[in-house]
Amino acid sequence: MSAGATETRACAQPAISDADFERFRDFFYRKTGIYFEDSKRYFVDKRLLERMRATGHDSFRSYFTFMRFQASGEELQRLIDLMTVNETYFFREDYQFRCLVGPVLDEVLERKRPGDPVRIWSIPCSTGEEPYSIAIWLLEHWPPIERVDVEILASDIDTQALARAREGVYGRRSVQRLPKALLTKYFEPLPDGRWRIVRELREAVDFRRVNLSDPADTRPYRRIDVIFCRNLLIYFDDASRRQAAEVFYDALNPGGFVFLGHSESMSRISSLFRVRRFEEAVAYQKPV
Amino acid sequence: MGLVRRQESGQGAPERERRRHGRAPEDLVRQLTDPDPAARRWAARDLAAHPGAADALADALEGERDPAVRQALLDALAAIGGEAVAERLIPLLRSEDAGLRNGVIEVLQGMPEAVAPRMARLLEDEDPDVRIFAVDICRSLPHPDTPRWLAALLGRERHVNVVGTALDVLAEIGGPEELPAIRAVAERFADEPFVAFSAKVAIRRIEEGRA
Amino acid sequence: MARIMIVDDAVVHAHRHRELVEALGHQVVEAENGIEALEKALGADWDLFLVDINMPKMDGYRLVREMRAGEELRAVPVVMVSTEAKPGDREQAWAAGANHYLVKPVRPETLQAVVRAIAGEAGA
Repeated sequence: MSAGATETRACAQPAISDADFERFRDFFYRKTGIYFEDSKRYFVDKRLLERMRATGHDSFRSYFTFMRFQASGEELQRLIDLMTVNETYFFREDYQFRCLVGPVLDEVLERKRPGDPVRIWSIPCSTGEEPYSIAIWLLEHWPPIERVDVEILASDIDTQALARAREGVYGRRSVQRLPKALLTKYFEPLPDGRWRIVRELREAVDFRRVNLSDPADTRPYRRIDVIFCRNLLIYFDDASRRQAAEVFYDALNPGGFVFLGHSESMSRISSLFRVRRFEEAVAYQKPV
Repeated sequence: MGLVRRQESGQGAPERERRRHGRAPEDLVRQLTDPDPAARRWAARDLAAHPGAADALADALEGERDPAVRQALLDALAAIGGEAVAERLIPLLRSEDAGLRNGVIEVLQGMPEAVAPRMARLLEDEDPDVRIFAVDICRSLPHPDTPRWLAALLGRERHVNVVGTALDVLAEIGGPEELPAIRAVAERFADEPFVAFSAKVAIRRIEEGRA
Repeated sequence: MARIMIVDDAVVHAHRHRELVEALGHQVVEAENGIEALEKALGADWDLFLVDINMPKMDGYRLVREMRAGEELRAVPVVMVSTEAKPGDREQAWAAGANHYLVKPVRPETLQAVVRAIAGEAGA
């Protein structure tokens, strides 16, 4: 059957053929680094059909052409939104935190003079789960914190998310991956069943609004040692991604590290960084 | 605890550092040849906001060896964009330096309006390598005419690697309209197993089958 | 069975080379540029890299230079495969640290002979 080769008639149910799926999969992989296994077929088809309907295309081919050649890239962004589920909760992708408190901070400390603080930047920090997770992880699993000052900088473009981050109140879903002992140690239960992060942590994290595309916003971020930028750049077009990588490069100390989300890869973004593969995770390092 | 809130004084230092140098466009252009790569990189980044600096940026790009500075120059040129920038970048496709060429290809892919009117000329360039790079630009150029240009190229192209690259790109972006050109080139290069293979993959992908 | 990395941004080329190498009984991993190759390669053992020259983000020369400069991949044999046959290309490949240089389109027998010479052949 060659579903894509001829325009589907209006009465027929539009369908996505195997070849359509494969072309889309290759294209999407090239653009985002996200690869859909065959087992994701239903998930992908459903979303493609949804966007075909919304944009008035009755064949995959015409929709694909429209999306692929749209100069603004808007439709691709919509698809990426749909194809990625962006949840945030405490200790998400915690293998990266293990990597942080292991080899990454060891290397960072080697280059520090006594008294220099370690700076960690979480962007986008959304409602605060990530920077607070980093704080808890350091306090629990990184003994040098007894003698080294650590600054955690957290930014997001969304001021409402930042307000919630500063408030630090979370529902059960957000905290369900936290061990009970840590929940009681770093949170206070609220009467409505939610949890509020303790004041010491709320006051330790510096939350600020930052638009990664605005040099005036990013300029103050300098001499950073580790950047967490997870699941953000996949939403950017090629030029904005490159620009974000440049911002990180300039913000980092020589030898500083970037962590991206688990499905993201610097190979589609920038060649400014060295690939470092640690036992726990891949990180990208600004050359020393 | 060892967690400390950011000290406001910590922020001021780099700002002071930057102000040591003048930030007017003329100063920035001068800094593009500073011996310190960091100064050159900052100058390039700040010149992205000055379209009048396109020529100075392109001049600097031709001689720049530091990868971080080179990337900043390319990004500044991409941000400025337009016909004049395309005119300056296209000749760099002939560079011996693969890293520079690929950086240039990437920037050109992001400027479809300026590149489209120049593509016909590029796809007919006398140097087969330049034609390959032009086809590579088409791979990610968001312009609806790219499959048509490549089909036209297949009709006249004699160099096997240009044909191979064009088939590779058409396997990704081609439609049924390009099938006759693909079949014809496969016939013309019947004794080249690689062309036969690439054409077969492209046809299968466009038609229905698995690649 | 050897483990071989094919680094090429041209999907059909990569696909073609993969088939030829797999026919010798080897296991293949593909990457579309130098950075992705390093992401996938580090932490594992490799018998051979087949590396294209022109690729976005990190070209073949730079990939080989980084392999030679690091600890882990320093000794892995590299065959560069390029569409270019200009004078100077081979020299650049040798200078970067390549072991062998092939010009596309590579005859299937040639590619397989080179792979066999470096990585052997599994009894497929």
